[in-house]
Amino acid sequence: MLSADFVIATAVGYVGLLFVLAYFGDRRARVNTKSFLHSPAVYTLSISVYCTSWTFYGAVGNAARSGLEFLTIYLGPTLVFVGWWFLLRRLVRISHNQRLTSVADLLSSRFGKSNRLAVLITCIAVIGIAPYIALQLKAVTSSIQAVAGSSEFGRGSLKGIDDVGLAFGVAAAMALFTILFGTRHVDAKEQHHGVVAAIAFEAVVKLAALLAVGVFVVFVGGGFENIFSKAAEVGVVVDATNTFDSRWLTTLALSVAAIVCLPRQFQVTVVENSDENHLRVASWAFPAYMLLMSLFILPIAVFGMTTMPDGSNPDMFALTLPMAFGQDALAMFAFIGGFSSATSMIILESIALSIMVSNHIVMPLILRLSPAGSGDGQGVTSLLLIARRFSIVLILSLGFFYFFFTRDSDALAPIGLISFTAIAQFFPAVIAALFWRDASLKAATAAIAAGFVFWVWCSFLPSFESVSPQVAMLLDRGPWGISWLRPEAMFGLDGIDPLAHAAFWSLLVNVLTLTLGSLLTTQSALERIQASVFVDVFKRGQATRGNFVRGSATANDLFFVAERVLGERRAAALFETEARDSGVDPDMLEPSPEFIGRLERELAGSIGAASAHVMLSKVVSGSDVSLEEMMQMADETQQVIEYSQQLEKTSAELRSTARQLEDANAQLRELDSQKDEFLSQVSHEVRTPMTSIRSFSEILLDSDDIDVDQRQHFVSTIHQESLRLTKLLDEILDLSALERGERTWDNVPIDAEAALDRALAVCEALLRQRGMKVELGERAQPTMVEGDADRLCQVFINLISNAVKYNDSDKPVIRITSTIKAGSYVAKIADNGPGIAKRERKLIFEKFWRGPGGMADQGGAGLGLAISRQIVARMNGALDLVPGPLPGACFRIRLAVMK
Amino acid sequence: MAERRKLRGGMLLLTVLGAALMLPPLVFVFDQPIAHFGIPQIVFYLFAVWALLIAGTALLTHALPPEGSDADKRDGER
Repeated sequence: MLSADFVIATAVGYVGLLFVLAYFGDRRARVNTKSFLHSPAVYTLSISVYCTSWTFYGAVGNAARSGLEFLTIYLGPTLVFVGWWFLLRRLVRISHNQRLTSVADLLSSRFGKSNRLAVLITCIAVIGIAPYIALQLKAVTSSIQAVAGSSEFGRGSLKGIDDVGLAFGVAAAMALFTILFGTRHVDAKEQHHGVVAAIAFEAVVKLAALLAVGVFVVFVGGGFENIFSKAAEVGVVVDATNTFDSRWLTTLALSVAAIVCLPRQFQVTVVENSDENHLRVASWAFPAYMLLMSLFILPIAVFGMTTMPDGSNPDMFALTLPMAFGQDALAMFAFIGGFSSATSMIILESIALSIMVSNHIVMPLILRLSPAGSGDGQGVTSLLLIARRFSIVLILSLGFFYFFFTRDSDALAPIGLISFTAIAQFFPAVIAALFWRDASLKAATAAIAAGFVFWVWCSFLPSFESVSPQVAMLLDRGPWGISWLRPEAMFGLDGIDPLAHAAFWSLLVNVLTLTLGSLLTTQSALERIQASVFVDVFKRGQATRGNFVRGSATANDLFFVAERVLGERRAAALFETEARDSGVDPDMLEPSPEFIGRLERELAGSIGAASAHVMLSKVVSGSDVSLEEMMQMADETQQVIEYSQQLEKTSAELRSTARQLEDANAQLRELDSQKDEFLSQVSHEVRTPMTSIRSFSEILLDSDDIDVDQRQHFVSTIHQESLRLTKLLDEILDLSALERGERTWDNVPIDAEAALDRALAVCEALLRQRGMKVELGERAQPTMVEGDADRLCQVFINLISNAVKYNDSDKPVIRITSTIKAGSYVAKIADNGPGIAKRERKLIFEKFWRGPGGMADQGGAGLGLAISRQIVARMNGALDLVPGPLPGACFRIRLAVMK
Repeated sequence: MAERRKLRGGMLLLTVLGAALMLPPLVFVFDQPIAHFGIPQIVFYLFAVWALLIAGTALLTHALPPEGSDADKRDGER
């Protein structure tokens, strides 16, 4: 028989061993980041903290009481890990990007860095986990009593101490141990390598212990077959008739939620994860670990029920069976295994919870109470540590009180399921946080709160039934006799399993509130940004990783904040790296928005996203980005789409502009060459008369012996040449005046036909001189239009003389017609000349156009058509080149007929 | 890339199938009062599903190249 003193001494010695392990593990992990401690195996083993004394002792008891149900607790997490690619990978990636510290941090960060939500989750977690901690205390207490209390002389120093006192001792020792273990320093990433090393070691111990007991039982019982058939003989059968009912489904669903949302599981799986690829191993190794753990549960339970005397606690079979067969060493090993599973859970759970309490409740209070810039450099770090120590004590006290009030209920597993139901209230929000962009803060807060209220009423309260007559009464009759509010038969839903009942109502209300609420409420700008950061975590090119704090802050202020939280060494290292990267002296560092964003994430790793945000916002003045900017950042996908659309539009615009420019350029070149040509022509034309004027006037000046006739001839030549020059200059002046609209212009009613007739009369001599045949086609009746008769005549003359000048045909013909069409007077002047080449059609109405090179000798300034068009435009008409009845050009004048 | 997609599809199938095999009504198919080697058939069945899920996940995960690995990059370029 084992004495209590020996058992307790062994337990203390074991804890000491763990402490040494944690200490050296921590040192080793710091020195060498590639050490064994960073391997996927250790990661997987640390996740195995999921298997607590609930598994070690409770599962056997559960199997003995309700058959296969215990398996759901492990099948649910198996499904989560089999589908690791879809949920866990996303969680880990987001956690790495956002430096998440807990499940409360995850939800608060996703829902707009809301601290209220974080506080709510932390409170629910602390309350919800209390039964779970109580379970461990109960298991340890029972196991000590089971090994030591079975003999009178074995109680030793435990004499006179009841289970409450023992549990209190265990709780106090655990609190002390956890404080020593987990709160030695504040790590930037909340990673505790030493603790994880100890947890991994404990995972090996508990697995080995349970396997040892299992193998022993199978050996003693004469093989699996023998155990089951012997059990069947005495009436012990694994009854599966009612196993797969609502309770099976409920426990499976709850365990799926628990493996993700339990604070300690989130801590080891997500926060402590140092490499995403470790998940790949854990995805199959952790289910395999659980399979091994459950392998012998059923044989132990069945064998225990067959061989142990009636009334013995099936929860303790793993311990009492070896003792019944006199295997004290094995019993001791099993005790250590069970102790391992309990301690690892308590340590990690209370560390995880204490981080939540200190980051989400204590830290914001400190921030609110102390103005920015007060306190010394070490202040926040040491305050955080103190807060964590106190919260560990608080958490274990809550667990102890729960144990104290419910100590009469005997089974372990139902207690654990109460906690699972509480924690499962986070699951809908977590899923929505990762996959649903529109999930809003208000809805998530309301959903979790509503689910929690239902949990308290339907699950937590009924667990006190055995100790409180009032609660028992409430369960029986409902509050104030309102029977449809009975905690285990809400709205008259009677007759189903209480656990399934509680889980159904709380999660239904939770999910409904979350979905409906999200559809009905709107998100704040920060929420929208965070939503896309979370939902689009795997989208490519997400450079906008939210530098939401922007504005001006001196490096000094920022350093001060960083120093308060991270400690001087880490803060200095951070700033030096930044200064080196941007290539400036550390003293001259100008904090960029990116740097502030990085600093925020770094701080978030220590004190949570919400607190880090508040803290930096205090220092960074003008920190609020304009709403418009936020909206722009918010929807990244939208942004990309918009951007590409803009690009497309711009490039289309550019293409058309380029085409237009090309056209314009060609036109310009054409005009330019025309102009050059014209200028040389003008110079030539001006020069010829100028030369004759000069030479004649020189003769007149120099020689006196010129007779009168000759003198007369010279003078008249000079006169003629001056007239020609004047005419040329007049034309140029006329055009530019017309174009600039300088000349006053009076439109009066005139007869267009009369103007045409007059032009024909003027040109008659010219036409006859060239032997041009005039075809007069259809002619309109005298038509009144608005305009200037002389100017219109000038246009006609210009067109007719052009037709004469440029016609090189042997039998030149000109055809003139005029009609009234659709309220317009239309006159056409066509010829059988060479016509106008296609590429010149655009240019003929330009100034200085003189026809193709070959025609340049036809004289004229090349301003006629340009002037004509201006004149017709002034009369509100149009002069165009149109396809005509003859092979050559055809000009059309169109003027509105007066009504 | 297509192979990666198929592997991921396989993972989803395995997860959904695993859940379906553990839940009614499929589980009723194997919930018969028969014992093999003295052990009830349903116990065999559940542990077999469990073991197959573990093996399937190990295989699929092994076939899926790790994030950021060379194989991954080659896959991306293809």
